[in-house]
Amino acid sequence: MTTIRSYMTDDHRHCDDLFAEAEQAVGKGNLDLAQATFGHFHSAVLAHFNTEETTLFPTFEAKTGMTMGPTQVMRMEHGQMRALMEEAADALKAGKTEDYLGLADTLLIMVQQHNMKEENMLYPMCDQHLSAELPAILERLETELHEE
Amino acid sequence: MQAVMAFENAPPFAAPLRFFLTAPLFAVLAGLLIAFEGPDLFASRWTPGALAATHLLTVCFMLQVMLGALIQIMPVFTGANLKRPLAVARIVHVGLSAGALLLASGFYSGIPGLLSSAALVLALTVLLFLAATVLALSGVPSTSPTIRGLKLALLGLAGVVGLGVLMALALAYGWALPLAALADLHAGWGLGGWAGVLLAAMAYVVVPMFQLTPGYPMRASWWFPVAMLGMLLLWSAAVLAEWPWLVRLSQFAAAVAGMAFAGLTLRLQAKRRRARADATYRYWQLGLSASIVALLMLASAALWPDAVGVEGWTLVFGVLLVAGGFLPFIAGMLYKIVPFLAWLHLQECGKAKVPAPAMNKLLPDVNTRRQMLAYAAALLLLLATVPFAGWLARPAGVVFAVANGWLWWNLASAIRRYRQAEIDISRKLAAK
Repeated sequence: MTTIRSYMTDDHRHCDDLFAEAEQAVGKGNLDLAQATFGHFHSAVLAHFNTEETTLFPTFEAKTGMTMGPTQVMRMEHGQMRALMEEAADALKAGKTEDYLGLADTLLIMVQQHNMKEENMLYPMCDQHLSAELPAILERLETELHEE
Repeated sequence: MQAVMAFENAPPFAAPLRFFLTAPLFAVLAGLLIAFEGPDLFASRWTPGALAATHLLTVCFMLQVMLGALIQIMPVFTGANLKRPLAVARIVHVGLSAGALLLASGFYSGIPGLLSSAALVLALTVLLFLAATVLALSGVPSTSPTIRGLKLALLGLAGVVGLGVLMALALAYGWALPLAALADLHAGWGLGGWAGVLLAAMAYVVVPMFQLTPGYPMRASWWFPVAMLGMLLLWSAAVLAEWPWLVRLSQFAAAVAGMAFAGLTLRLQAKRRRARADATYRYWQLGLSASIVALLMLASAALWPDAVGVEGWTLVFGVLLVAGGFLPFIAGMLYKIVPFLAWLHLQECGKAKVPAPAMNKLLPDVNTRRQMLAYAAALLLLLATVPFAGWLARPAGVVFAVANGWLWWNLASAIRRYRQAEIDISRKLAAK
């Protein structure tokens, strides 16, 4: 059965795949391809953040009354990752591969520890509290993730 | 709300950092001890110098980093909320450092009072750590192989420390115990049940996530920690019943389980999708390869007990597993954990207005790669010292001390740059 946890976790892995493609392109010295694939990664992650911030988190907050809890921490971390992705995109555009690889390494750890918190704590909490709304939420997440 | 608390209670940087910055200094001390003692230390695994150096590496270095890292990452990996992490870190850090130094000097000098006080201090310190972690994990269900592995590893920690305390007191008070058989069992609990299971539990998460490899197979990851602990219980029962054949059987099975884990991890890493091989990855490869050779030796000795009679067999095994296996994993992970935590804290200082320098600016790759090569050279020298102790013992000790001093220097430089960046960021924030 699809749950919020399984659906959103799959999207995390999809973003990981795009990240790996971009890094491999940099490793091969193909900067044009790297920019294009990093662009795909960047927009996939932003779409993921947006659907969480506009649909999943507000629904969770409304249902549980927890507005200053985990969702707040996740929003803050989204901000940190948005800034890192901007920096990485700029480094790639300027052809500074060393800088890019350093930023990418930092970004990867940041993303993964963030994902771990969501996959192990927040999403299971969402599944637990939002079981009644589950089909409707999944449908909205699906539409928002594939809008572009 | 356990989970909510864990989100907010990421421990302050100072909690784990104290462990990471002092641990390499004890490895330097081990190298200096080898250089000072020279060939005599390598006469057997039971020489006072060998016992002291081994415990400088296992308790002062390995245990120190492992407990420090657990205080930091347990909330993220398991959702468990460790109460008052900074206070726990302070007490555990002081207790471990003092206890381990007492232990090493107790072995070296043979003074009973030092051994018994080491036993007391280490027992109390580890009990406090276990109490804090068991309390934190008590409401956390084992929903992943990592959480279950972590819980079982804590059982391994209790086992190794319990046996160690018993033996230290037996040495201090001259109790009649089968010390040789107990020492093997103690090493099994420490390196297999505690360090091995903890490493696997962490690897299940960090290898796929940070090296972008395929995941570990689910069933094998659930069972590896259980199998390892099961074999150690069997081994313990065999020592109690004085059945040497069962001791060998359980050693063989534990070695095979360990080799399967290390071989699988090497295979997963071969499929990694990162752009380049950094020091962390190279350190893991070194650690996995050395562990596989060491475990092959353990399995062979279980099948042909006469192998242990080959001169230097046990020393080579010990050097391969501790200095070749576990120390490299730990150094490799320190090279990621320290700059990442530094970056994270700088990011928080900058309040999203001033960007933090990326990890490779805090700890440049070139420094870590060179240190890794120096460490690999030190390891080869140590291994060559077993047959050629007369010539090589002192230089090997010096090179080992230098390589670990370099590890410390790299980490300390990252922290120095972090402190500088912290000042720069607050200046820029004030100017805005």
